[in-house]
Formats: sequence, structure tokens, C-alpha cells
Amino acid sequence: MPVQPILRYPHPVLKKLCHEVKQIDTSIHDLVHDLVDTMHEGPGSVGVAASQIGVTLRVCVVDVSKNRHGKENNHGLLCMINPEITSRSGVATMREGCMSVPDYTGDVERATEISLQFCEPDGTKREIIASGFEAVAIQHEMDHLDGILFLDRVTSIKTGLFRRKNY
Amino acid sequence: MTQQPEILHYAVSVVGKDRPGIVAGVTEGLFNLGCNIADSSCTMLAGEFAMILIVSLKSPFSKTRLIDELKPVCAKMGMTLGVRTLHQDEVARQESDGEICMISVYGADQPGIVYRVTRELAACNVNITDLNTKLIGTPEEPVYVMMLEVALPEGQNAEGVEQLLADLKSELKVEIGVRVVTPVAF
Repeated sequence: MPVQPILRYPHPVLKKLCHEVKQIDTSIHDLVHDLVDTMHEGPGSVGVAASQIGVTLRVCVVDVSKNRHGKENNHGLLCMINPEITSRSGVATMREGCMSVPDYTGDVERATEISLQFCEPDGTKREIIASGFEAVAIQHEMDHLDGILFLDRVTSIKTGLFRRKNY
Repeated sequence: MTQQPEILHYAVSVVGKDRPGIVAGVTEGLFNLGCNIADSSCTMLAGEFAMILIVSLKSPFSKTRLIDELKPVCAKMGMTLGVRTLHQDEVARQESDGEICMISVYGADQPGIVYRVTRELAACNVNITDLNTKLIGTPEEPVYVMMLEVALPEGQNAEGVEQLLADLKSELKVEIGVRVVTPVAF
């Protein structure tokens, strides 16, 4: 399955509310494959949402198992269709960046533990409790499904070295 | 082939007693000149408002024109203006491969906290990218707080920096904490 280009802000799709998936068919399976391949292609990427590759459906993938922050505590590859967070607790700040808003980072507050339910690509309903870095990654990707970028949640404007190198 | 016009960069600083309308006044002047604000940091320190902006313009332009436009605006608001021309090699930002850390230092106020801490960091090639300090507490018990954001050289880590500052921590009797804030890209 092909790796898709990641859309960058100000592409209008990134600010769109994504639609619920009504039926899981081959087009959804293809979309999930594309998302996984695109995630694996991005350097150090731990998640991609459908809107980031131009599809306004509530589908996203997360895999923090290879990341130093997530390797001790994760559910492996999560392919989530119509994910919903049912409860959240705790608050922690992490400095986030996003492939769709390159060269900019900011501190974002997220819940440290979330319960969520979603559909697997085979149609199975699944409920998990995610915590730590994995919970942050899931919340970041799920925000994309609501047209929310990390810039909408930045609590501190102190940014690091990763802004554009040339003006 | 048409030649691209050269882009000129200037560092502009404006400092003076805080009041509403300073940013609007200064940026109106910049807008009138067709300046881009490429990077900026503006903050209130005690009752002073301090602006530092990196502005860019297409050539031909001159520092004098920039000063001519901004000086009357600043004078009207009682602000001090500084303008410096940047050379092309100053404009590109150095990117570090090392960890980005936040260092917090706080304790009873005493002379030399900033100097002693930053001297240790400089000796180990730790680059300060952001620093702010604040005097808090009461006049009887003043407490000094310093927050530094630093880029570590390759091979150095947060524990290493904490160790590096351990002697100073006991000598000055201040708290020193180092935590990694290297951004995570999603």
C-alpha cells in the first residue's frame, strides 16, 4: 500500500470535522493500510490520522512501541475506527510537534490516562485504557479527527530550536 | 532569468515603560514599511515592556529608513529603540541534535546565581536558548527563580547536567532540577 503525503497546514482538510465511518469495507481497509505505511515512513512518527492524508473519516493509527517514551507501556499498533474517549484523568504537559505543522513545537496539556473504545478494521469493538505517552499520542491523533491541531491547545509559547531554520 | 531580490534582516529592540498600545504602535510602523516580522519575543519585565523582533525586508532598504519610521513612534511612547543590521550568516538558526532541557533553579536570593550557573553550563558547551528570572517571595525572605531552556551538546544528557550542577547546588543552597523537554513529533 502506498505511503501518502502528509498534508500541511494551511490545507483546509486539517481543520475539518471528520465523519463517522458507517461501514467498514475494503476502502476502509485500504485507508488503514495507507495510514500505517505513512506512519512508518515518517521519521520517528508514532501516529497518523486520516485527515492528515486528506480523508475526512474518523480513522487513525497509533504505535508508540518503538518510541523511547512509549516502549515500556503500549498496546502495540492500534488501528482505530470511530474512536471515542469515554473517560480521562490526570494532566501532564508535553512539548508536541506535528508532521502537519512542521518546524514548530509547543507545550500541550493532555490527560495522562484515558479509556477509549473503537472498532478494529475487522469490525470488532475494543475497549482499552491507555496511559502515559501512548495516551498523549492517541489524544493528539484523535484531535485531528475534530479538526484540532496542537496549536489550538498550546499552553506555553516558549518554543525550542525546531522552528524554521531560515526566515 | 529574473533575479530574486535580496532579503535584508534587522534586529529591532524596543524597551520602555509598559502601557497599552506599544505593540500596535511599533508594528504599525513596520507594516507601513512592508516589513515581515520573522521572529519575535515581547514580554513585560517589572513595569518595562521589552520587544525584540527580527524583521525582514526586500532590498533595496536601509537601516536609516527603518529608524526614521520607528523613532518618532517610539519617542511618542517614551520607548528606547535599537536597530542592528544582520548579516546573512547570522540569520540561519543553528539546530542542535542534542536533548532540549528545562533547568529550574530557585532558592534564597543571593548575588551570582545566574553567573555561577551559566558559567558551569558554558564550560560544558551547553547552549542557553531561553532564560528568564524572577525575584519572588517577601522583602524579608526574597526568593530567586531562574528558568533556563538549553540545548545539550551531543553525548550529554539531563542526568549529566544535574551532576554538573550538584556542587553548585549545595554551595549556593538552591534547588536545581533538570528535565528533558525535547519535542515529540506526532
